[in-house]
Parts: sequence; structure tokens; C-alpha cells
Amino acid sequence: MSLIEVVDLSHTYGEREVLKALNLGIGKGEVFALIGPTGAGKTTLLRIMDLLEVPCAGEIYFDGKGIPRSGTQRLEIRRRMSFIHQKPQVFDSSVYDNVACGLRWRGEKGNRIAQKVDHILEMVELAGYKNRNARTLSGGEAQRVALARSLVLEPEVLLLDEPTANLDPVSTQKIERLISYVARQRNTTMIVATHDMSQGQQLADRIGVLLDGKLVQTGDAKDIFRSPQNEEVARFVGMENILEGVVIAGNEGIAMINVGDDVIQAVSSYPVGKEVYACVRPEDITLHIADSCHQTAVRSSARNSFQTKVTGVTTIGPLSQVEMNCGFRLVALVTKISAEELDLQAGREVYATFKATGVHIMERKPHQ
Amino acid sequence: MIVLVVVMVLGCSGQTEPEVLRVATTTSLYDTGLWDALEDVFEDRYDADLQITAKGTGAALALGKSGDVDVVAVHDPAQEAAFIAGNYSVKALNFSAERVTWAYNYFIIVGPESDPAGIGNLTGSLAPEEAFQKIQQEGREVREAVKFVSRGDESGTHGKEKTIWASAGYNYTADIVGNGTADSWYIEAGTGMGATLVMADELVAYTLTDKGTFLAYQGDLDLVPLLDEGDILLNVYAVIICKNGSHYEMADNLVNFLRAPEIQYLIAGFRVPEYGEPLFYPWGPETCGLP
Amino acid sequence: MTEIWDGLTKAVQLLISFDPQLMEIAWRSLGISGTACLLASLICLPLGSLIHFHHFRGKRALINIIQTLFVMPTVLVGLFLLVLLSRAGPLGFFGILFTPTAMVIGQMILITPLLLGLTISALSGVSREIVDTAISLGASSSQTIWLVLKEARYAVLAAVIMGFARAISEVGCALMVGGNIRGATRVITTVISLEAGKGNLELAIALGIILLFLALVINIALNRLQQR
Repeated sequence: MSLIEVVDLSHTYGEREVLKALNLGIGKGEVFALIGPTGAGKTTLLRIMDLLEVPCAGEIYFDGKGIPRSGTQRLEIRRRMSFIHQKPQVFDSSVYDNVACGLRWRGEKGNRIAQKVDHILEMVELAGYKNRNARTLSGGEAQRVALARSLVLEPEVLLLDEPTANLDPVSTQKIERLISYVARQRNTTMIVATHDMSQGQQLADRIGVLLDGKLVQTGDAKDIFRSPQNEEVARFVGMENILEGVVIAGNEGIAMINVGDDVIQAVSSYPVGKEVYACVRPEDITLHIADSCHQTAVRSSARNSFQTKVTGVTTIGPLSQVEMNCGFRLVALVTKISAEELDLQAGREVYATFKATGVHIMERKPHQ
Repeated sequence: MIVLVVVMVLGCSGQTEPEVLRVATTTSLYDTGLWDALEDVFEDRYDADLQITAKGTGAALALGKSGDVDVVAVHDPAQEAAFIAGNYSVKALNFSAERVTWAYNYFIIVGPESDPAGIGNLTGSLAPEEAFQKIQQEGREVREAVKFVSRGDESGTHGKEKTIWASAGYNYTADIVGNGTADSWYIEAGTGMGATLVMADELVAYTLTDKGTFLAYQGDLDLVPLLDEGDILLNVYAVIICKNGSHYEMADNLVNFLRAPEIQYLIAGFRVPEYGEPLFYPWGPETCGLP
Repeated sequence: MTEIWDGLTKAVQLLISFDPQLMEIAWRSLGISGTACLLASLICLPLGSLIHFHHFRGKRALINIIQTLFVMPTVLVGLFLLVLLSRAGPLGFFGILFTPTAMVIGQMILITPLLLGLTISALSGVSREIVDTAISLGASSSQTIWLVLKEARYAVLAAVIMGFARAISEVGCALMVGGNIRGATRVITTVISLEAGKGNLELAIALGIILLFLALVINIALNRLQQR
């Protein structure tokens, strides 16, 4: 049974529809990542789940019970959850008082508070900052205070709204470690909203893609990243190569798909004549120099191989994004070092190769 | 803005500037509206701009000392004498003394209609002193019932009040003011005549007032005049030219104006139809017999 | 100009000699204005929070009215109270006209809009996120209001100081409903007005300097409190 469940949830801000008939259930102890671009409605969904806002339509169930739209019962349920904001929010008081406030509000006794606060500050490595005013801390430290302030309450549900969006990489790593530690140790149910797909992939048991107020797809990381349900999700999860095509033949689960001038082989059971998208993740494409002795060997292990010309190379951190033209546009992602070894640059002739299992086929609905 | 300034400058340049004469006057003369009546006549006659500020006698004389006014019109002989002795005054043309008296009336003792101290039926030339004695004695003994509100602001009226206490045989600071505690029968208001009358009315207390101000306020008050005879209640208004001021000639004009027969006649009749009795009496013995 | 210098020396003399009459008047000023400010704060801080945290029709208009009343002339408050508290007035039976109680009421009325308006704007300085954070951490409505007041404490304290300053420095209302009665309702500002009326400029200036000195002492004390 779900610990939190929302049913047919809709919300509007003025004229703008932020959430559209959304259904979602989060199991006890589950870590759920909510991914989607900025403005998709992630924050609104989290705020409604934390009972900070009352949705325009729809129901919320907590632990199987419906939540009333007003009244003291909301406070009681809210006290079983905690929320971490995107921008670190600390109160203008000492680190200790910041972390202690939630316990005080719950009427906890003084010595118990001191014990718990000390322990949690130890955990977030801020024990020495106890008496500092929290407003004098750096962004990363402040976010750890905010995390400690929530964790000390031992909430059943922790809602995190882009918890690392404003932080440097080192602080981000610390926060991510804390989150996964707590998820493992305490079996806390977590909902993490993020636009960082790798963070979602790394932390979550299950991922939901929120696009324009609609929960488009939920599933584990493999489902979402390998088998997006439609073009929008595919684009959002970094599926660079989305080719329009038609199934022209099928044999033993392998389909031949015509994508303009060329034919791609893919694992698919769509019938002949079906209009589809063929999606290939750029990191699944390997590149070889157009060298005759390699050619046959390559062909034998992968079903798709195209001779093509590089049209451009862009460096993204330790990776290089290589754009090619082989009748259709193809983008591959290789390490920067191999790009240098292969001397990849515009005009270079290469073989682009990918497996039939590396191609994800999804139905193409006729454009409206 | 600029246009406005230009218009103002043009508007003024057409004629000669009237000469400014600054006068500090006691509030009783001002609040009754007497100065309003005199001002226009004077300004027309001498092409002057009379600027009048209404103050208690103490403050008016202080303005005279510092030369912030040219003439003072006040009513406290003791303070006036000190002012003259301090060499702050000059003699007016045609007059033998610095202090020129020009009008008078009487102070009156007012109080609640019930008259708890029983002063209403006192008569004779020493009636005011006797009344003060009764108020003091009753006030000491029956605190709640009998109270006296004093101006307490070094005004001419306050000066007169102190004179009466002294004449009645008291040491003002020791016997009357005492320690000035909150529950005292003697209440020092430290404010103007009008406000003091309002306070006496609210607190159901006696007070000493000049007749003019009382008549002007009477309509809004429950206080009634209880005693208006006795030599000591005489209230004399005097005018003095200030040495540290300027415009001596125009100041001379004002002093002569106030004593001019037709103006004295105007003072005598001021607001008589309204109140049925005069607010002020003209001073000049030579003019009193005039129609 | 000599008056100012004489006033200064007189002020110093009065201060170092702890002139008993001056001390009495100064204490009364502090007592009356302090009480007015305290009572007004007890009303305005919760009321301001209530207005700030609730959304209702005409809220904007209400705040506009409150802010307009910042400039309410002190004599107008005095006149209003004089009419109400007069023996002939509707509240005359209390018999509190020309008493310190009337002055406290007058000053409370005078500073209530200021305290209310400044409290609301102080609370508006606390971000929506802080409020949400408190709520999400399980604060009840009253706990949230208390937290927000604490977050805005400097601005709230400034509001209270402003209220006190307006109360202790006003003269119109104190004179009208207090009556400047010696030993009862005479406070620093009414004495200044009285002494200036008597032509006692030095004493008036000395008293003015003492009022400023008092304000300085209070401000230093409150600043110390803030820094802790």
C-alpha cells in the first residue's frame, strides 16, 4: 500500500494550469525521484504533498487516510513529514536553535532535544558550528543545517525540492551522500524533485517524469532512460538521436526500419508499416576510423554500422559530443581522450556503429 | 513656481511696502478679538503691517527683551515694572512714562454654580481676599469638593492671582503651591486662560479669569461668575515700546493710536451688543466723558 | 543664541544635581509613554501579525488607512479624547480627564497606527520561504507567528522604538487631555511648552536637551539588547 497517494490532482495558479489530473503513489521506504524541466510543476506537487497548499481538485491520502482540506489534522500529518527547499532556508538564530526548533514545536523535552541535536549535527559534520548564527554559513553548510533540522525530526517522509541546485559540486556530493545514507539507515520514504537526471538515477528506486504538469512516465532508471514512452520524455532524458521511420520488415523480433535513405535494425515487435521513432542514446554509438580491415569485424557484432562524415565536435567536460551526417543527423558521445586519439574533427570519415538492442523503438502518432 | 514668484514680485512692486510693526500681546486681548478690530483701523491709518503674536505676559515681555517684537501689550504691573527697571523700554512720544495704560477691566472669580466654598455672597472691597481664604481653608479640609485651578504660567492673570494670595496673607510658594502633589486642592494647569477655564469646568473647580476671556468662553462652560468686586481685581492693560525693537516711530503711532479718543470710544463699545456689558473700559480720564 | 548655550549649561546642572522636580517629571514622562508604548505593543504586535498572515477583502485598503493615520495630528487625538472624556461626554463618568490614565490612552491611540503599520511591514520583510519552512517543520499557526516575529525582531523593535519616540515627544495630546497639572500630568514636553510660554527659554531648552538625552540612553540600551 502507498504511504502517500495523490488521485486526480489538479492545481492552477490564476490562469496557469500547473498540475493536470495527476495520479501517483509512493510506497513506504521508497525513494522516488521526480524529474522534469524547470516549471514542470515539481515544486507545486511537493508543496501539495507537504500540505503547504490545498490543491484545486483531487485527493491526497496519507497512510491510507484521506486528508481534509483544512483543520488541525493537517498539522498532525504535516508533522510526520519534512521538506527541504531548493534555496537553503535557515532562521536568523544559532545553528543549534535552528535544528532544535522542530522538536520544540512538537513539545519535546529540553535534554532530549540537546541529545538529538548534538547527534544530528555530528552526522552532518557541523558539530563545531553549534553556536554560530546560521545566517553566517555558506550555502552548502546552510543546506546541511536545513537537512539536519529535518532529519532530527525523524520524519516518515522527506520531501526534497532540488536540494543541491544552488550548491557547488563538493557540497552537492555531501548532501547526496547524506540523503542516501538516511534512506538506507532509516528506511525513510523520500521524494526528491530534481532536474539533474544523474542525481535522480543515483538516488532513486523509482523515477517519475513530470512534463508540463503531467506525470508522463514512471519506472526504474532503466525504463526511463532506455525506454522512454514518447518523444518528449526521450528528449528530456537525453535521447539525442530520435529518428522518424517506418517498419518495413520484421523477423524473429528484429525489425527493419526505414529512416529515410538508410535502414536500421532494432529489437522490436512492431508490425510492418508502423510509423515509429527509432531512438539511440549518444553514448551507445561507437566510432571507428574508416579503415577496411576493421569494417567486417565491426559488422559482425553490431547490426547497424554507417559510413559517415563528422560535421562538428563539442567538448562537454570530460566528454566530446560528435555530430555526424549520414543521410540523417546522428550524435555520439565519446570520451575526450578517444576523440583526440581518433583525431575527430569536421570532415573526418568515420564508421558509426550501434547494436540493434541499443535502439529503442516507440510508436509515432501522426502529428496533429 | 517661478511664475508664482514673478507674479508676487510684480504684485508687490506696484506700491510701497507697508511698514511692519511687531506686537506681542497678552492672550486675553487677542482671544476676545479686540486686536482684530483694532488692527485694520491702524493699518489703514498709518500704512502699516501690524504683526501680532499672542502670548502670556511673561513670554511677551521675553520677546520684548530680545527685540523680537517692537511693542508689548500686557497686564502685569509687577513684571512690567521689572521690564522697565531692566532698561528694556523707551518712552513713547507725548507720554511721560514708559508704561502707557490704555484699557482696563476686572478679573472675576468663577466656579461651579453649587459654590461649595460659599464665596458668592461676599461683598466689600476685601471680598476677593476673603474668597481666596475660604477656598484655601475649605480646599485643605474637604479636598474632593473644593478645588482651585491656577494658570501657573507666569501670565498676567497668574501674577494677579499671586497678588491676591499675598494680600490675603499667604506665602504663595509655601502655603499655596506646597509640594504640588497630585491630589492637592490647588491645581497648577500651566496653560492658557481658555484651557484653564475648560479644566476648571471639567474638574468642578474655582479659578481666576479676566472677564473678557470668560465672556468669550462662557457659552461652553457650566462655570458661573461668583465674585467681581474688590479693588484688587482691577486689571489694567498697558503698552510699552521695546528698546531692543525697531520702528520706534510706528511704535509711537500705535501708543498714541490706542489712547486716541475715537479708539478709546471704540474699545468702550467693543462687543457690548453681543454680551450686554462691556469687555473693556477705556483708560484715558480725558476721554472717558466723550460720547 | 546665548539661550541655547545657557540652556545647555542649565541642562548639565539639572542633570548632575538630580534635581528632584526634574527627575519626577522625567520619570513621569518615561512612565506614561512607556506604559502607552507597552500596551500599544501588546495590542499591535499580535494584531499586526493577524492582519499580515490573513488574506481578506479590503486588506490593502486597511493597510492604506493605517498608513494614512501615521500622520494623525496629536492635537486631533487630544481633541477627540477631550470630547469623549469630558464630564459632558459619553465617557465622562470614568472621570479620567486630566489624569495620567487619559494621557496613556491618548498616546496609545496616537501610536497604534504607527506600531500596527510598521509591524506589518516588518513582518512583510520575512520571506514567504521562511514562513513555509516553519510550517513544513510542523509549526502551528501561533508558533509560526512567533517565529516570524522573532525573524523580524530588529524591524519590530525599531517599530516599537518609533512608537515610543512619537509618544514621548508629542505635546498636543498630553496638553489637552493631561492638562499639564503640576505633580500629576506634567511631563517633559508640556513643561517645555509651559516654560517657553513663561519666557523661560533656558529652562525649556535644558528640558529639551534632557529629553534627547533620555532618548539616547534608551536607544543605547535597546541597541545593546539587539546585539545580544
